[in-house]
Amino acid sequence: MGWIVISGFFACEGSDYEMSFIKVEALNKSFKVVKKENGLINSIRSFFNRKYEVINAINNVSFSIEKGEVVGYIGPNGAGKSTTVKILSGILTPDSGTCKIGNYTPWLDREKYVKEIGVVFGQRSQLWWDIPATDTFDLLKEIYDINDEEFIKTKNELISTLNLKEIMNIPVRNLSLGQRMRLEIAASLIHSPKILFLDEPAIGLDAISKEIVRKFIKKINKEKNVTVILTTHDMNDIEALAKRIILIGKGRVLYDGTLKKLKNKYDNYKYITIYTKDKLIIRNKAIVSKEKLPNGYKIIINSKIINISDFLSIISKKVLIDDVEIENENVDSIIVKLYEEFGI
Amino acid sequence: MSFYKSFIKLKFIAGLQYRFAAIAGICTQFFFGFIYIMVYNAFYENGGYNGISIESLISYIWLNQAFFSIVNLYYKDKEIINTIKNGNISYELTRPKNVFFMWYAKILGTRLSNVVTRFLPIILVSLILPKNYRLGMPSSLESFILFIITFILGIILVNLITTFYHVIMMKTLDERGVVGIFITIGDILSGLAVPLPLFPKFLQKVANLFPFRYIGDLPFRIYSGNISVTDGLKSILIQILWIIVIAILGYILSKKILKKVVVNGG
Amino acid sequence: MRLYFKAFKLNIRSFMQYKASFILSFISQLITVFSYYFIIIALFTKFDNIKGFTLYEVLLCFGIIQFGFSFNELFARGLDQFDRLIIDGGFDRLLLRPKNIIIQVLSTDSDLTKSARLLESFVIIIISLIKLNLSWTFLKALTLILMLISSCIIFFGIFLISASYCFFTIQGLEFRNLLADGGKHIAQYPIGIFKKGILYFFTFIIPYGFVNYYPLLYLLGRKDNMLYAFSPLVVLIYLVPCFSLFYKACKRYASTGS
Repeated sequence: MGWIVISGFFACEGSDYEMSFIKVEALNKSFKVVKKENGLINSIRSFFNRKYEVINAINNVSFSIEKGEVVGYIGPNGAGKSTTVKILSGILTPDSGTCKIGNYTPWLDREKYVKEIGVVFGQRSQLWWDIPATDTFDLLKEIYDINDEEFIKTKNELISTLNLKEIMNIPVRNLSLGQRMRLEIAASLIHSPKILFLDEPAIGLDAISKEIVRKFIKKINKEKNVTVILTTHDMNDIEALAKRIILIGKGRVLYDGTLKKLKNKYDNYKYITIYTKDKLIIRNKAIVSKEKLPNGYKIIINSKIINISDFLSIISKKVLIDDVEIENENVDSIIVKLYEEFGI
Repeated sequence: MSFYKSFIKLKFIAGLQYRFAAIAGICTQFFFGFIYIMVYNAFYENGGYNGISIESLISYIWLNQAFFSIVNLYYKDKEIINTIKNGNISYELTRPKNVFFMWYAKILGTRLSNVVTRFLPIILVSLILPKNYRLGMPSSLESFILFIITFILGIILVNLITTFYHVIMMKTLDERGVVGIFITIGDILSGLAVPLPLFPKFLQKVANLFPFRYIGDLPFRIYSGNISVTDGLKSILIQILWIIVIAILGYILSKKILKKVVVNGG
Repeated sequence: MRLYFKAFKLNIRSFMQYKASFILSFISQLITVFSYYFIIIALFTKFDNIKGFTLYEVLLCFGIIQFGFSFNELFARGLDQFDRLIIDGGFDRLLLRPKNIIIQVLSTDSDLTKSARLLESFVIIIISLIKLNLSWTFLKALTLILMLISSCIIFFGIFLISASYCFFTIQGLEFRNLLADGGKHIAQYPIGIFKKGILYFFTFIIPYGFVNYYPLLYLLGRKDNMLYAFSPLVVLIYLVPCFSLFYKACKRYASTGS
């Protein structure tokens, strides 16, 4: 009996016992899009003779996620994030590859599978615009066939943890973005899903709402062991929530590991801004990049190879330094650097 | 002026992207052209003149179908409606151009690209259809020239009217309601749903009091000779008069409404 | 179905949030539909019949088609506006839910202002029936009811087909409208007034003929055969390909996501 309780709803048969909760293997998906033309002549030409190109939205993507993990799924616009999320949530069928979530293949077992997931799209709403959110919740109860007892229990829990009491009975159109997002998240969790997909949940939120949302996600992850997959541009979200990130670019997985490891790799990097009127010519193995500013230079060095004071003393012998600023790398710029490194 | 010109050009190019819509539009227009003609053929079977001959009527229908995308009153510009609804309309005030004429350029450009990609196939094919369905030749060279002139004026007029009710939407914030009523009545009085000669007498008189019949009904009937060249020449004056009146009204109204919008904070 | 009724109630509440706008739109709808009837009435001031059918016979035909069409505009608005669901991603959201997809689509929207059209068509039907002064029998009453029901059914089927269109492309929606509006426009007249080819098309391909031509002949006493009285039932068969097309297109959508 014991193991059934542990593995919860997705009580697996013996053979699946050791498999990961979410296992994605060699997913591919491509789309055909119309090539855009510029100018009047080209527009007219393309009116009669249209050119298409094939875009590989995702290319041989594989990863696995354990139950109860919080994973940040990040990448620049058009990297294939939302395509992956659509496939994982059963909306889209991939060209090839496999995906097992619990015992389900999302796009084959859609109707059964979707009871186990909740999805929040940051830019789209599932709340009815002109009426209070509580009515939408009643409708969702009908959609997910939640029994009365369960429904009231979950709803009250959500109301107290997300602080929804005052906003539940106001027409949604009269609420602020932050309030709406909190309700949106609650609506996606009313059927107690085992996996939560958050697609850009923090867009346009104020600091307080962001904090409430983050705390809440941590809480349900910890207390209910909900697996969370988070796509976002906001690295602060990732830092606050996800231990592990999967970085995707041009449809490929570029990095899959802990955020800490990624940070350590770049932690040695120091940003040094030197203000000087002189021309600086310097060659050193430790220099990662050098950039001319109007009133000096911006240099990134690897402090493992040379420590900062040594480096500064070399510089001071070459030019007259007016001022110096030293900064550590932050997560945002690490990601930017990663993108640059992979050429995306 | 060059600002408006480049605006029209921009919208024109944007409109060309929708090839599939153009093909679909052509098919729709053909389809409805045939249906209308079939219905009228059935009505006319027992003979009778009724103010317009069946041949003139068929030409009327094909011209109406070919140029439908620019003469119809139902056109609603999604972009403009969006700026109205999401409150971005206040930005329009920060621009140095008048909203009415800017929107006019926008609408004209879009609709020109629609009509340019659609009318030719319909005209060409309908010219060679069997007799009961054929678009006739213009009744004379004079009436053809007059058709061109009145039709160009008609295009200017219809787009002014279209722009005018987009301005009203700034106030009503709803594209149905009042504007819907306005459009429906305009559509009936334009003769484009049922050609004016088939109206009861008193309604013909009512239609004469409004600008709508000077959009398509006038040029299409001049083409087939149902309206004589001398009568047509007189109508040009009325067309021009309406163009001036609506342009001035629209300009004043847009200024007035926009002022209020800003006072109310959008 | 419970889901649908619950959603319908919510839709009514949403509409009641904007009472003034609702009333204006309602009036606007009344006028719009009246303009359709006006066209017929205006034409009959110049002609006294169309291939032997008189004004009120045509209006009855018209009313029955409008009844079925606006019934669906009111209750199956979600299918009618399916392109919007595809464009704004609302349909993806529905796919994330464990309920029958058609019921869910129907639940997304109902346009209450279209009740104006339904009401108006009903009035036109009543007026036509009074003016026509038919010799009523039980079977004729039944035929009339069957005509009304089949009109609702056929447009539901057509709405399903036109929604399926949006799965393939949201461009050229005129094609889609052609299917619903074009056929409707023809069926507003007794289809027999058109060429044989048209009659056959709307008998065997899209069975409008069974909605308001064959049964109309029985109703007006031009045909006595019982088959004409029960011919509206044929429309039920038509639903089968409509449903299967929708489900097939839905499956395809999941593989293209376009």
